[in-house]
Amino acid sequence: MEFAKKIVETTEEIFNTMIFLDVSANTPLEQGKQDLGCHVSAMIGLTGGFSAMLGIHCPEAVGLAISGAMLGIEIEEIDADVKDALGEIANMLAGGLKERFSTEDIGLELAIPTAVSGKSYTIASSAKSNRVIIPFNIEQGQFFIEMKYNLN
Amino acid sequence: MGKTVLIVDDSNTMRKIVSRSLRQAGIDFDQILEAGDGQEALDVLAANKVDVVLSDINMPNMTGLEFLKAKSEDDAIKEIPVIMISTETGADIIDEAKSYGAKGAIKKPFTPDLINETLGPLL
Repeated sequence: MEFAKKIVETTEEIFNTMIFLDVSANTPLEQGKQDLGCHVSAMIGLTGGFSAMLGIHCPEAVGLAISGAMLGIEIEEIDADVKDALGEIANMLAGGLKERFSTEDIGLELAIPTAVSGKSYTIASSAKSNRVIIPFNIEQGQFFIEMKYNLN
Repeated sequence: MGKTVLIVDDSNTMRKIVSRSLRQAGIDFDQILEAGDGQEALDVLAANKVDVVLSDINMPNMTGLEFLKAKSEDDAIKEIPVIMISTETGADIIDEAKSYGAKGAIKKPFTPDLINETLGPLL
């Protein structure tokens, strides 16, 4: 199903089209517990051909840079605009994956994105879930796109 | 008299991006109105003269499709053209949107050029 390939293609499309920051993908992280050291995350659920939670996780400086670039303004702290911007990225990621999976006759429905921020938080899901985490680099640092999924 | 556009999206960020993209596309509106969901959009249309609507689909409270359906049943506003701007641009959803009067669809992520190509013929 090439989850990682689809995630990389979709992320690059979003950054090239609407964020205008140079982005490059790194090798996906190994399965298992990962401390990503992030301060703001946005997530969206997908259901249908498979069930999944798709998320973008950013350290503070990276979240500020991405949301500031999207909005064309300088943002100094994680606020509602940052969470809203990352929520939109999660939404567009999910939409892009939906479109790509539809070419393989895998239908998906999207939920409404949600975002969280804080100095220390853990995002948990079923231990039986499959998991893909892809680090991406921008000039200000690294962020992560994560997909936990269960095949039906 | 100048033209007015209504941007409907539950994301404040996306409303700002659409507004900026209109300027980057060289489309000048004298007034840009905003609504956070379909019901707010109906309220704005009831109180203002709007020339064109750009609407998201996947929104809480009242979705873009529910907004289109309600708008199509109101003689006072049903002729106002609507372009959908959404991550949801599958053929089934767009066909349903067009059955309620949508004039076209723009997929997120989008470029100002795509906005110009889609919106330009309606102005």
